[in-house]
Amino acid sequence: MKGKKKNLYYWAFVIPSLLVVFFVIVLPLILGIGTSLTNSDGHNAVFIGLNNYIRLLSDDQFIYSLWFTIRFAFVAVILINVIGLGLALLVTQKIGKVSLFFRTIFFMPNLIGGIILGFIWQFIFVRAFAGIAEATGLSFFNAWLADTTTGFWGLVIVFLWQMSGYIMIIYISFLANIPGELIEAGKIDGANKWQAFWLIKFPMLAPAFTVSLFLTLANAFKIYDLNLALTNGAPFGSTEMIAMNIYNTAFFQYQQGYAQSKAVVFFLIVAVISLTQVFITRRKEVDL
Amino acid sequence: MKKSMLFSLLAVPLALYGCGTGGNEGGQTPSEDGQNEGGTSGEAVTVDFFNQKPEITAQLEELAEMYNEQSENNADVMITTVGSGEGSAALQARFSSGDEPALMMLNGLPEIERYSDSLVDVSEMEVAGTVIDGLLEGGTINGTQLGIPLNIEGFGLMYNKELFEQAGVDPDSIESYDDFVDAVETLDSQKEELGIEEVFGFSGGENYIANQFSANFTSPEFNHSILDAYSAEELTWEYGDQMQKYTDLINEYNVQPILTVDYSRSVEELFVNDQVAMVHQGVWIVPTLNEIDPDFAQEKLGILPVYGESDTEGKIPAGSPWYIGVNGNLDEAVVAEAQNFIDWMYTSEEGQEMILGDLAFIPAQEGYDPEDISDPVSRQIYEAMLAGETSAFVHNQYPSGWFQQELYPEFQSYLNGEQSWEAFEENTSQAFSEMR
Repeated sequence: MKGKKKNLYYWAFVIPSLLVVFFVIVLPLILGIGTSLTNSDGHNAVFIGLNNYIRLLSDDQFIYSLWFTIRFAFVAVILINVIGLGLALLVTQKIGKVSLFFRTIFFMPNLIGGIILGFIWQFIFVRAFAGIAEATGLSFFNAWLADTTTGFWGLVIVFLWQMSGYIMIIYISFLANIPGELIEAGKIDGANKWQAFWLIKFPMLAPAFTVSLFLTLANAFKIYDLNLALTNGAPFGSTEMIAMNIYNTAFFQYQQGYAQSKAVVFFLIVAVISLTQVFITRRKEVDL
Repeated sequence: MKKSMLFSLLAVPLALYGCGTGGNEGGQTPSEDGQNEGGTSGEAVTVDFFNQKPEITAQLEELAEMYNEQSENNADVMITTVGSGEGSAALQARFSSGDEPALMMLNGLPEIERYSDSLVDVSEMEVAGTVIDGLLEGGTINGTQLGIPLNIEGFGLMYNKELFEQAGVDPDSIESYDDFVDAVETLDSQKEELGIEEVFGFSGGENYIANQFSANFTSPEFNHSILDAYSAEELTWEYGDQMQKYTDLINEYNVQPILTVDYSRSVEELFVNDQVAMVHQGVWIVPTLNEIDPDFAQEKLGILPVYGESDTEGKIPAGSPWYIGVNGNLDEAVVAEAQNFIDWMYTSEEGQEMILGDLAFIPAQEGYDPEDISDPVSRQIYEAMLAGETSAFVHNQYPSGWFQQELYPEFQSYLNGEQSWEAFEENTSQAFSEMR
């Protein structure tokens, strides 16, 4: 009797979320895979098997966008985590109330939407940098966003700006959870600050790496708003990231079946990379 | 223990979030607000007008209100606006979700064709009889008229009369491409005296500018006919040499880096403040200019044709960028009311007053006195249109996505010196046939 009631409660709590997950995530995913096997233009669709996927293999722009996104994600993930951890270490030093102020400041860019950040930085790159170039004569500041290299780094810089503070917060919470006695014990054994960081704090931060790497990796792959506002694929489509490529295929060319097949491939790639990363970093975690 | 708990609490929703958005990327559409506010009394006939021009939302709403007030059928016309290039995606979302608008603005024949199964024949409507010759064909699929032209727009090289005058260049004396080059060189030689940054403020960072610019040179290839452009299987760049000449000239005397010059810099900053003498733009900039400098459009603004066909034949592309389609899938009463509203908007006195006044349209109908059109450039285009001296809006008939995905990147690539003109022509032409 008691067991039955417990069961009832269990399902009463679980079913609503299961339903939501089913209708919002599982069902669209299945429908999406179905669409990817058709030549849908949004109104009519004919089943064409795997033709979309075969066509993908020779789509230069898709492969370029994918490669561009992978490079972007690689650079961004490393830099965000290095900067985020660096900031976290700085603001957890015992420097009084100032640290709270800096935490807020560093976190602030994350509160601004990607579109707005994109436009703000577009102004900085295009206008402010041009002004600096004129005033100082440094050609480094010239013509930002007008070629592929500066377009790439422009995107990276803005993404760093946006995400580092957020990742910092995660590292702070994990740093604060490291028991003081561990560090103290290390000190008594003669460890200097450097050793204390690498040999005690760093391994203890492993769960934080799992979360932060996952977040940054997944976000870096799926970035769209920033891309749209900052470069919109320009110059000459060379900064068109994968999400934008899919959107444009779906809503400029109206090849929704084809776009869907790109999305499915994209989904598989992000899933495989993220899950591999989570699997690897989880093994490094230590439990007290 | 605590830490791994925290992790799993964090990770589960995150993982789900990750899967969800990853799989859905292709299907995301911008949401629209405030489209279901109507439905006052049970008898009201609600007509939803899907507008893709945000700059005229307020005026359309005013028109709708005027119409609702005088309507005997208790009509309730509502305006929904989604613009900035996202309109067609949003419109598709409306159709997919079953929440179809009764009236919709459609951009060019490819878009009209996509909805052709839903649209009704408009040739019997009162307004259809008054449309300027040749404009209705831009809304005609397989011989059936499915769209009413919203208005006329025209574009070309817009120039600053005052700067031309100061430099001693008489715009009326420019009668060929060579004259035009002379004018540009004269302006360039006096940059400092004129206080201009460069001669041109061409926006190399806007895809629609590249698209419109190309129309100067593709219109003659398609015999200045919208229908020819729409049915064309290929684009051979017959007049590509002219386009290359213009592109090189503009690029040489343009504000650099040309690829980062966007609309607002080009028009709202450089052109209106007399810092460049010319931009490639259209009449839609007039309201913006008026806002910044009320006298600019009246006193300084002029438009030069582009010699796209040959060095001596200059034309201004003009036509209707938007066609209003009536959705036949809805109740008969709604369809009738929707048609009624459009007829009223274009043929009633109040409607016409609004069209010339607050909307500042160049009307797509005959029978207006050119003198009633407020700014000189619009007047010039209306007269040229009536006289059949314009080239056509062929750029709205290119294959869907071609200008965003092919023409614009390839054009930018040429501007930046990344590839030759031959490569530009070859790549875009190949993609044109593939995407058609």
